[in-house]
Amino acid sequence: MVCRNTSWTRRLVLAGISTAALALSAPFDLAQAQETIKVGLVAALSGQSAKSGEAITRGLSIAIDEVNAAGGINGKKLELVSRDDESNPGKGLLAARELVQREKVAVLFGGLDTPVSLAIVPFANQAKVPFMGVWAAGTNITRNGAADNYVFRVSAVDAYVGEALVDYALEKKGAKAPGMILINNPWGESNEHALHDALKKRGVEAVGVEKFETNDVDVVPQLTRLKQAGADVLFMVANVAPSSQVVKSLDRMGWDVPVVSHWGPSGGRFTELAGPRGEDVHFIQTYTFTDNMSPKGQQVFAKLKENYGVTSLADVMPATGIANAYDALHLSALALAKAGSTDGTAVRDAFYEIGGYDGLIKTYDKPFSPENHDALNAKDYVFTHFVKGEIIPLN
Amino acid sequence: MLLTSAIVTGLGLGSMYGLIALGFHITYTVSNTVNFAQGSAMMVGAVLGFTLMVTLGMPLWIAAPIALAGCGVFGLIVERFLVRPFVERNSDAWLMATVAGGIIVDNIVLFTFGKEPRSLPSPLATNSIEFLGTGVYPLQLLIPVVGIAVAVALQTVFRRTDFGKALLAVVQNRDAARLMGINAKVVIASAFAISTALAGLAGLLIAPLFSVHSDMGTLFGLKAFAVAILGGITSATGVMIAGLLYGLIEALVTAYLGSTYTQIVVFSVIILALALRPNGLLGRAAVNKV
Amino acid sequence: MNRLFGSSNPAMLAAIAAITAGGVVFALTGGSYFTFVVALVALTTIVGVGLNILVGLTGQISLGHVGFYAIGAYTVGILNLNGVDFWLAFLAAGLMAGAVGALLALPAMRVSGPYLAMVTIAFGFIVEHSIIEMQGLTGGQNGLMGFAGPSLGGFAFGEREMAILAIVLAGLALVFFDRLARSGWGRAMIAVRDAEVAARSVALHPLTVKVAAFAISAALTGLAGAIYAPLMMYIAPSSFMFSQSIIFLFAVIVGGIGWTLGPVFGAIVTVLLPEMLSGLAEYRLLFFGAMLLAVLWLAPSGIVGALSRVVPKRRGMTQDALPEVSIAEFLRREKESESLQVSDIGITFGGIRAARDVNLTARPGCVTSIIGPNGAGKTTVLNMIGCFYKPSTGSIRLGKTELAGCTATVAARAGISRTYQTTKLFPSLSVMDNVLVGLRGGRLGNPLAALDQPRDTAVAEGLLKLVGYEGPRDCPAADLPHVDRRLVEIARSLALRPSVLLLDEPAAGLVQGEKITLAKLLRQIADLGIAVVLVEHDMALVMGISDEILVLDAGKPISAGEPSKVRSDPAVIAAYLGSGELKAKPRAKGWSDNGEKVLAVGGLSAGYGSVGVLKAVNIDVGAGEMVALLGANGAGKSTTMKSLSGLLRPVDGAISLGGDMIESLPAHEIARLGLALVPEGRQVFPELSVLDNMRIGAYRRGKGDYSGEIEALLNRFPRLRERLHVRAGLLSGGEQQMLAVARGLMSKPRILLLDEPSLGLAPQMIEELFSVLADLRDEGITILLVDQMAALTLAVADRGYVLEQGQVVRADTADALRGDKALEDAYLGNDRVHSEPRKKVPA
Repeated sequence: MVCRNTSWTRRLVLAGISTAALALSAPFDLAQAQETIKVGLVAALSGQSAKSGEAITRGLSIAIDEVNAAGGINGKKLELVSRDDESNPGKGLLAARELVQREKVAVLFGGLDTPVSLAIVPFANQAKVPFMGVWAAGTNITRNGAADNYVFRVSAVDAYVGEALVDYALEKKGAKAPGMILINNPWGESNEHALHDALKKRGVEAVGVEKFETNDVDVVPQLTRLKQAGADVLFMVANVAPSSQVVKSLDRMGWDVPVVSHWGPSGGRFTELAGPRGEDVHFIQTYTFTDNMSPKGQQVFAKLKENYGVTSLADVMPATGIANAYDALHLSALALAKAGSTDGTAVRDAFYEIGGYDGLIKTYDKPFSPENHDALNAKDYVFTHFVKGEIIPLN
Repeated sequence: MLLTSAIVTGLGLGSMYGLIALGFHITYTVSNTVNFAQGSAMMVGAVLGFTLMVTLGMPLWIAAPIALAGCGVFGLIVERFLVRPFVERNSDAWLMATVAGGIIVDNIVLFTFGKEPRSLPSPLATNSIEFLGTGVYPLQLLIPVVGIAVAVALQTVFRRTDFGKALLAVVQNRDAARLMGINAKVVIASAFAISTALAGLAGLLIAPLFSVHSDMGTLFGLKAFAVAILGGITSATGVMIAGLLYGLIEALVTAYLGSTYTQIVVFSVIILALALRPNGLLGRAAVNKV
Repeated sequence: MNRLFGSSNPAMLAAIAAITAGGVVFALTGGSYFTFVVALVALTTIVGVGLNILVGLTGQISLGHVGFYAIGAYTVGILNLNGVDFWLAFLAAGLMAGAVGALLALPAMRVSGPYLAMVTIAFGFIVEHSIIEMQGLTGGQNGLMGFAGPSLGGFAFGEREMAILAIVLAGLALVFFDRLARSGWGRAMIAVRDAEVAARSVALHPLTVKVAAFAISAALTGLAGAIYAPLMMYIAPSSFMFSQSIIFLFAVIVGGIGWTLGPVFGAIVTVLLPEMLSGLAEYRLLFFGAMLLAVLWLAPSGIVGALSRVVPKRRGMTQDALPEVSIAEFLRREKESESLQVSDIGITFGGIRAARDVNLTARPGCVTSIIGPNGAGKTTVLNMIGCFYKPSTGSIRLGKTELAGCTATVAARAGISRTYQTTKLFPSLSVMDNVLVGLRGGRLGNPLAALDQPRDTAVAEGLLKLVGYEGPRDCPAADLPHVDRRLVEIARSLALRPSVLLLDEPAAGLVQGEKITLAKLLRQIADLGIAVVLVEHDMALVMGISDEILVLDAGKPISAGEPSKVRSDPAVIAAYLGSGELKAKPRAKGWSDNGEKVLAVGGLSAGYGSVGVLKAVNIDVGAGEMVALLGANGAGKSTTMKSLSGLLRPVDGAISLGGDMIESLPAHEIARLGLALVPEGRQVFPELSVLDNMRIGAYRRGKGDYSGEIEALLNRFPRLRERLHVRAGLLSGGEQQMLAVARGLMSKPRILLLDEPSLGLAPQMIEELFSVLADLRDEGITILLVDQMAALTLAVADRGYVLEQGQVVRADTADALRGDKALEDAYLGNDRVHSEPRKKVPA
């Protein structure tokens, strides 16, 4: 009896697997005649950064729907093909190759992780396919030194963010002895360099730099070191959950120090996680959905409500991911339309031709040139904080 | 102040590691296998706790037993489908199967519970109190007490009760235990249920200090495994002591050498400790006559 | 162990060549994405081969191989960015990883199982975090890029050429594994994995073997990493995370641990599967996990392992004609001086003096026996001579060489060879390889040359013939019957060309006819000029072939000299021999049958897998009756006991335990119904105290106060009282047997089954045991007894059954069986050994 049972289950599993394998090997068939123009996304869709991938997907999808509703690009509809990079550069590069070579995507969009984007950069330049960053802020992604550069970005740039954070801390918070509390990942490291550079320019030196891990429960030891070093303002770079651990640790220590943060806290329910002290954290944003937003903002927000069950402004997070992706897709659509083909070099050159575009984040005017592949700069950042679960700009 | 806060942090975290590591200890001693989805069990405990208490609004005293029972069921499933099929066929593939099981559970939770981290509120973790010159949440002081109490209770159960004896008998000679009338399958399955329930308890305890999300158990599971090994996976006392030590070393290294070196130092200490004591702090080699 | 998929034949080489060629064709014709995927499969294969050496051959798990992969990649990356040519950097990467591997092996050697897993995990994390912190060199978290790829004669490698390089290297790695596995090194790795203690006694150096395995494994992984860097054009710490180590190990497990082609299949699954699932986007990892699990369920021993069961095995490899060798010449020792001189050795364990003042001279050509009660320290003395224990006093000299304090490996190389009480062959090696490994004597030779060189094979063949082993040569040692294991173990020890051969209870578990053959063999070995040292309980055997006998009791010598002198020594009789001829108390007045059957077995058939052992056996035992089950080794006695107790399932036929049908019940339920088996080999719970062992015997009866019963049993077994709180694993064999019986009685069984209770016991202990059994019988306990001591068994039993080849061939009263001449010759000669007349001792 037992034996027979096992073999039945085994046979069932076997049958299931072969069916699944057949079904899944379908993508290996040659791509069908291109009725649509495909755009690819390589981002973290699973694991601890899954939320970022979801935000980018939403921004891109809403914009694609708009482009398609308006008749597509030269009569062809846009189609999004997504791949999970699991935050691993190797997987990201492999996914990028697959999208470019099998799916023949015209433009490739990148995700949250700087190393994944850095792994794709040499390939994109070699394969001559435009690669559009919408999140990863590593400075050298776009400034990659390639003679023939195909990498663009609609997102923050660490070098500029560093400048902006330092200016804000020095001017608004009167920092004399800033300290840094950074997540121990590529993003944290990249910002460590940017912050050091920006501080140096202004003749100030950080009194301490502390790092912590994503899943650290208690950051008190690190913060105590900073406190003993005499820090009067903290620069914080970390995603929403670890950022909230920093704030909770500050609360326990009873250390009332101003915190100037990168955009991490906007990635989730920061004040739920961090407690009321979370409202004191001032952080940078490229865009926020607010009560009194532009017509474009209202239009996108309406779509979010309609398509994704978003009910309130507090549910829209991270806004920057959605907004960056939304604007990046529209800019790419303009380039594709101008190029008149999906040839990589033609599309790349068409990016330089884009004149004005009234976007969600701002009104772009000649956003890209051969010298500048970043559509956003320090002037486009706003400082915000949480009030009752919603992100409100600080003035 | 640096020292006190490091010690409080270290003991709190350490006892969490210890609780999860006790789970490794239990399944290893009973069946010579380890459930590498132990971190996921911790996460399941926290996620169930959040769902029952916050989403469904149940009071703690109802929600906690249900969540722990849920974790126990998870352990039974792990044993039945990820461990037993391989052990019965004399294969070591349970190691990979439990890893795969962890991946599956983490991802199912990611797509059902949601991708955003949530916070499990607790009255014991909202206002900090002054303790030996440093601010702590009352929960932080409670956690080591609960952790050690559970470890002691468990040890007592193993040493003193019939169930405990049966468990030890199964560990040492499964066939002989069956000849004594002990149902080895049930004993092993319950060992897995107990181990995941312990991890779930750790998840419930730590959640208010941390955040609840699908990925929260991964690193905890790994550190707990390190703790189990460091303490000597065959000794419950050793595991609990190693948990506290691990937490303390982590916090003290961070406090005095800086966080840059924490991981390198901690993992080097593990290698060094095992080179000196190949069976962990209190683990002992089985009686082995040539 | 492996045929088509992992064996030595040209088919293997052809298969590897075909796979490699296939890979190259794919790389040349596929699109660049496909080329890239094939390259990753090749790199994973290389790492898999490296891990396969570690996991498959030495049995050590590593969850930190990504560390070596990273070391390889960063070595190439950093050197390359500093202007070093790729090929030079490539070699450096392999060397670097190999060196780190050897270094890691040192702490890793001290640990095993999950402890080793943790050491390797820690190693992986240390590498990852060191890379992150050494920003100046490694670029920190954000990595390195801009490497110049390799070039050959001015031709710069592109992606396609890199892929081909990876594929060719993977092919070479597979060939390397195939050759290594068959070489002396490969077999030594398996030997060390299977039985480290025995490996030492065939002069292997486990540390060297394991460090070599670790270093080779790491070097291969480093080479793969070295290709990974220029292939990816970018490396960062996040490419080398813990999860990647898991994937690598997974590739080996899913492919099939130990199979040459395993890593190829594993790499294909672990690299291609995620690619096939890539369209699932965010659900990929979920499905990947599920499909991994499905593959594991379907093929728990790996894909190649599963395929090997489908592909028909080619039996009977044609063996080239073997050169003529003379075994007598091979073994003969010339030097008279090489006698073993043991003077005044002693040793203490935890304050207990296990042996002291032991003197012994073993001359070439003589059989020197050590006898004494269980726990007298006989095996301890052997362990000291074999250098497994370091004596705290005294000296052990072989010729002029002082051995006390040496390692076992050194002793083996000096000419001391041994067998074990429980045979320690290398279970997964074939019979032939077991002997061949012994023949190497620790000189492992070229790692690429096969172990079975014709001359060596001829010698091994001769040795197997000498010991009288007639079974298949390619059978894994684990599958051998008991007697054959002893014979092969003796052949393996002889392969070392020893001056001294130590034998620990070689006759245990043998029946009369087999003992006679053994006696002849031992004498023959001694006559070749080897000094034979024998520890044995079978007095007829010992007295028959020994030139000298040393008697130990409680760790110290009580008598020594020629057999006739020792036999009549009153001290020896008191301590060990007992009455001299084994006797047991028959039932005073005959057993009265009241017709009540406690156990009734009808048509019982059982076996292991497809091998049938029992064929329609009928047995019954009446209330209060004591029934014996007799038969030769392999007749099915133990199988009957296992079937009755439920340890062996399923069985055909009917078994009634006082009316309850138990043939389909699991063991624990049968135990709860009141059938207690005292299993062969005692099987006490070694880590529990004597008291707890007894208490757990009463488990089926639930909670209660059993102190009265325990007290009664302690009166019956006074030896146990002294050791009540000692861990049972530390008891001597006789004490453990008493404990096992006591534990069985604690369950107040309806019937007590005893399987070979006298195995390995000293004569005096055997007498004590049988007197206890007679008492139990007289108290009305129903007993079914299996024992090699047939005469004794029939003395205490009321009735007996004789099993032959799984069938009951006689059933009669004990008296009738005792008087049967045919039975007497086959089984009953407990104290009559017909040995060859002994040659005169060479002074």
